[in-house]
Amino acid sequence: MNKQNSPGKTISLLQSIAFAGAMLAFVLCILISVNYFQVKKSDPLNSPAMKTMIERFRNNPDDEQIKSEIREFDLLARKAFFTNQWQIRTGGTLLLFSVLIVIICLKTIELLSAKLPLMPDTATTNFWDSRTLNRKWVAYSGIFLVCVSLIFAFLTHNELGKTLELTGKTPGSAADSNLLSKSTGASTADSISASDSGSGVRQDSLPAASSLDAYPTQQEINSNSASFRGPGGNGIVYQRGFPSSWDGRSGKNIKWKTAVPLPGYNSPVVWNDKIFLSGASASKREVYCFDFNTGKILWHTVVDKIPGSSATAPKVNGETGFSAPTLTTDGRRVYAIFANGDLVALDYAGKQVWAKNLGLPKNHYGHSSSLAMFHDLLIVQFDQSGSANVLALSGTTGKEVWKTSRDVKISWSSPIIVNTGKQTEAMLVAEPFVISYNPSTGKELWRFNCISGEVGPSLAYADGVVFSVNDYSKLAAVQLGASPKLLWESDEYLSDIPSPVATSKYLFLPTSYGMMACYDAKTGTKYWEHDFATPTYASPVLADGNIFQMDKKGVMHIFKADKTYISVNDSPLGESSVCTPAFAGGRIIIRGDKNLYCIGK
Amino acid sequence: MVMKRFLALVFLVFLFSVQSLSVFGIQRFPKPEFESGYIQPETLMPAPRAEMLALLDIAVLILSLSVVTWLVLKKRSRKGVFWMSLFSLAYFGFYREGCICSIGSIQNVTLALFDTSYVIPLTAIVFFIAPLVYTLFFGRTFCAGVCPFGALQDLVAFSPQKLGSRINAVLGVIPYIYLGLAVLYAATGTDFIICRYDPFVGIWRFNASFGMFVFGGLLLVTGIFIARPYCRFLCPYGVLLNWSSRFSRKHITITPAGCIQCRLCENSCPYDAIDIPATSKNPEDKRTMGRKLIFITVLIPLLIFAGGWTGSKLHEPLAGVNAKVRLAKQILNPPKDTGKPETFEIQAFKSSGKPQKQVFDEASLVLKKFYLGGWILGGFIGLVFGGLIAGRIITRHHADYVPNKGNCFSCVRCVDYCPVK
Repeated sequence: MNKQNSPGKTISLLQSIAFAGAMLAFVLCILISVNYFQVKKSDPLNSPAMKTMIERFRNNPDDEQIKSEIREFDLLARKAFFTNQWQIRTGGTLLLFSVLIVIICLKTIELLSAKLPLMPDTATTNFWDSRTLNRKWVAYSGIFLVCVSLIFAFLTHNELGKTLELTGKTPGSAADSNLLSKSTGASTADSISASDSGSGVRQDSLPAASSLDAYPTQQEINSNSASFRGPGGNGIVYQRGFPSSWDGRSGKNIKWKTAVPLPGYNSPVVWNDKIFLSGASASKREVYCFDFNTGKILWHTVVDKIPGSSATAPKVNGETGFSAPTLTTDGRRVYAIFANGDLVALDYAGKQVWAKNLGLPKNHYGHSSSLAMFHDLLIVQFDQSGSANVLALSGTTGKEVWKTSRDVKISWSSPIIVNTGKQTEAMLVAEPFVISYNPSTGKELWRFNCISGEVGPSLAYADGVVFSVNDYSKLAAVQLGASPKLLWESDEYLSDIPSPVATSKYLFLPTSYGMMACYDAKTGTKYWEHDFATPTYASPVLADGNIFQMDKKGVMHIFKADKTYISVNDSPLGESSVCTPAFAGGRIIIRGDKNLYCIGK
Repeated sequence: MVMKRFLALVFLVFLFSVQSLSVFGIQRFPKPEFESGYIQPETLMPAPRAEMLALLDIAVLILSLSVVTWLVLKKRSRKGVFWMSLFSLAYFGFYREGCICSIGSIQNVTLALFDTSYVIPLTAIVFFIAPLVYTLFFGRTFCAGVCPFGALQDLVAFSPQKLGSRINAVLGVIPYIYLGLAVLYAATGTDFIICRYDPFVGIWRFNASFGMFVFGGLLLVTGIFIARPYCRFLCPYGVLLNWSSRFSRKHITITPAGCIQCRLCENSCPYDAIDIPATSKNPEDKRTMGRKLIFITVLIPLLIFAGGWTGSKLHEPLAGVNAKVRLAKQILNPPKDTGKPETFEIQAFKSSGKPQKQVFDEASLVLKKFYLGGWILGGFIGLVFGGLIAGRIITRHHADYVPNKGNCFSCVRCVDYCPVK
C-alpha cells in the first residue's frame, strides 16, 4: 500500500515545489520589470532636487555646505541607480534558478507519471481534406501578405534614391548647407565651394542637341543664375569671388555696359556665356540675349502673334511695367512671360520653340511673378484676381503637365524652389497662406496661414525655416517639420516689394523705404537695423558671405552677413536700379534703368 | 577502472588548459592604466575565440551530430537524445553563449558570397555545412539534440497542443520570409538580423535588451503549449534543413518494421510532424488535378513577378535599416528639423571629416543593391507560396503513419508509442 502511494506523494510534493517555483518566477518577473522601468526612468544626475541644489550652488559658489550636500546627494543617487541594476541582475539569476527548479520538477513528474499510449478518441482526419485545408490556408496567407505588401508599396514614396543622386551631384545642396552651417557656424553660401569663380570669361553654353530634352544638374544650376534671385530663387549664390567695389561713373571694375532697348523691371538671368533679359512697352515685347564676356547683344526676339494674345494692352502700374517677371532658363531654352499673359520659350539662338497666352491677367498693378524651373518643368505662379493657379509646363513642348488651383488672393511674389533635405518643394506665398507644392506633380505638401494683404515679397528659406513677410501684415518664421509651426513673428519692419534673404543663423529683411533689419533666424531676436536712407526695390542677395543690397539710386550696399552691421562697401552704379543683380562666373550683372552692367575684377 | 579514472583526469586537465588559452587570446594588448580606481567594465560581446578552441567547437559539433544521429537511428533512444540535447544546451548555449550557431552562420556564408573582403571563419563554414550534410543523409538530427535553441524549447514543452492545418499553414510561411530578409540584409552588408533578434541570447549570456528578454520569455512560455515555436515558425535555418531533410534516405521511422495502423502514434508528435495515411482514394479526378497543375504552373511565374515587383517597391523602407542609408537620411533631414537632439551618427560623421558626397554615393549604392535585392526577395517569397501550394497539390500519398521528412525534428518521441519492436 505504501509502495503504491509513494510515487503519488512524490508527484504531489514535486507539484508543490514546481508551483512554488513558478510563483517565485512570476513574482521575480514582475519585480525585475518594475525595477527595469525604474532604472530606465530615473536620471539621477538630472533630478529636480539635484538641479535645484546646483542652481543654489551657482548663486553661492563659495558655500561649502551646498557643495558637500551635492556630493552626498550625487553619491546617494548613484548608489540607488547601481543598486537597482544589481537587483535586476540578482533577480535574473534567481529567476533562472527558479525556472530550472520548475523544469526539473515537471520533468520528473513526467517521468513518474508516464502512461501507456492510448488510441485517439476521435476519428482519423481525412488525409485529402487535411491537404486541401492546408493548401487553402497557404493561399489565404499568401493573398493576405500580397495585399499588405501592396498597400505598403503604394504608400511608400521611394524618393530617397533620387534625392540622394541629385544631392550627391550638388556640392551646394540644402543638406550641405544645413549640416555644415550647423557645424561650422558659417553662412549657407560660405559653406559652399565655388565651382565657377575663375577668370570671369565664360564658355559657349549651347548644349549638345542630344541633351536638349534633358535638364541641368543642380551643380549647373548653382554655377549659374538661372532665375530671379539666383538658384532656386532663394537669394543665395553658391559661388565665390565677386567684386565688392566698383564705380559706374569712373568705370572702376565695370567690364562693359550695354543699353537695353526696351524698359523692364525684370532682373538678368545668366547661363554660361549668355545673359537674358526682356523689355516691353504697351505694344511691343522683346527678349534679349547678351554676350556675357563682351556685353554685345547677340540677338533679340520680338514676341508677338502669340495665339490667344489680347490686342488690348493690360493696365499696369508704372512701378511694375509690362515686363516685370524675370525670365528663367534651363540651359537649353529661355522662358519669358509678359504682363499680357504671353509666355514664350526660345532656344539659345533666339528662335521660338513654343509660345502660348495664359489669358490677360486680371491684375491691377500688372503681372510680376517671375518664372521658375524645376528639372524640365516651367513653374508659373499665376495668382490673378478671382482665380489663382500655379501650373507647370513642359520646357520642351509647352504642354501643361499639371495645374493646381490656389485658394488665395492675387499676389506679385515669385515661387522659390527649395530642397528641404527631405524633398524638393516649390513654395509660394499669397494671402492668406504660404503653400508648398511638389514641383513634379503640383500636389500640395503643406500650407500655413500667416500672411495677408497684397503680397509682393517672395519667401526666403534656410535650414528648415521659411520666412514670409508683407506690408501691413507681419514677418513670420515658419518651422518645417511633420506639421509646420510658427517659430516666431514680428511686425516692426515689413516689406512690400523687396524679399528677405536668410542663412541658418540670420534673416536679413529689407524694406522698400530703405531700412535693413537683421534677426536671429531661429528666435526672432533683432540684432540690428540700418537705414540706407534711400528706397530699395531690389532684393538682397547673399554672396561671398556678404549681403548685396541695391538701392533705387543704384548704390550697392555691401555688408557682412553677420549679427552686427559691418559695411564692406557702398558701390555706385551711376544709374538708378530697381532690379536684383545676378551673380555668376565671378561677375555681377546689374540692370540699371537704361543699361545692363557687368561688374568684374 | 583506475586506468579509466586516470584517462578521465588527463582529459579534464587537457580541457581546462586548452580553455585557459582564450585568456592569452583576448589580452594581446594591455589595458590602459587608470589611477582613479576605475574598474574596466566587462566586455559584453563574446571574447575572440582562440584558434584551438574554434577547432574544439568544430570537433564538438561533429561529435555531437554523430552521437545524436547514432542515438536517433540506431538506438532509437529518446532518453539518449534528451541527455545529448542537455549537453548541447550547456555547451553551445551557456558555455559558448550561443555564438557561433548554425542559424546565424547563414549570414556569414551570405556575406562571404557577396563581399569578397569578408574572410569567413572556418567555424562558420562548418557550422553552416555540417548540419545540412547530416540532415541530407539522416534527417534533422541536428534539431533533435545539437541545436541549443531546440534543446531549450524542448525542455519546456510540457503541454504541447496540436495546432491543426490552418495555423501550421499560415505560420509555416514565416521562416521563409525571415530567411529571405536575413540573406538580403547580410548580402548588402547591412546587419545580421538573426543574431540581432536572437531571442535566447539573453538567456545564454545573461545580458540582452529588455525587449529581447521579453521576446525570449514569451517564446518559452508559448513553448509550454506550442512545442518549439521558434524552430517551427521562425527559424530560417530550419528552412534549409527542411529542404535537405526531404532527400534524406536514412530518416527515422516511427515503426522499426511494418506499420500496423494502430493509431497509437497519431497524437504523439508535439510538432504536428506525423503524416497521417491516406486511407481513402483521392476524391479529385485526374482532370481536376490536371487543371490545378496547369493553374499552378501559370501562377508560379506570376507570383514570382508580383512578389519581385512588390519587393522592389519596398526597397527604400527595407534599406532604412542600413547604417549608410540611415546616416544619409539624417544628413538630408537633420534631427533639428524634427525637434530631436543630434544623433550620435551625425556627431560621428561630423568629426570624421568624411565628405557628404561620399555618404550619399555610398547610400545610393546600397539603395541600388536593395532594389535588386527587393526583386529577388519578393520573387523568392512568391516562389515559396507557389511551391507550397504546388506541394499540396502534387502529393504522394502513403498508407502508413510516417514522419514528415521536412518538418520532423527526429526527436524520437513517436518511437516509444509504437508497439512494434
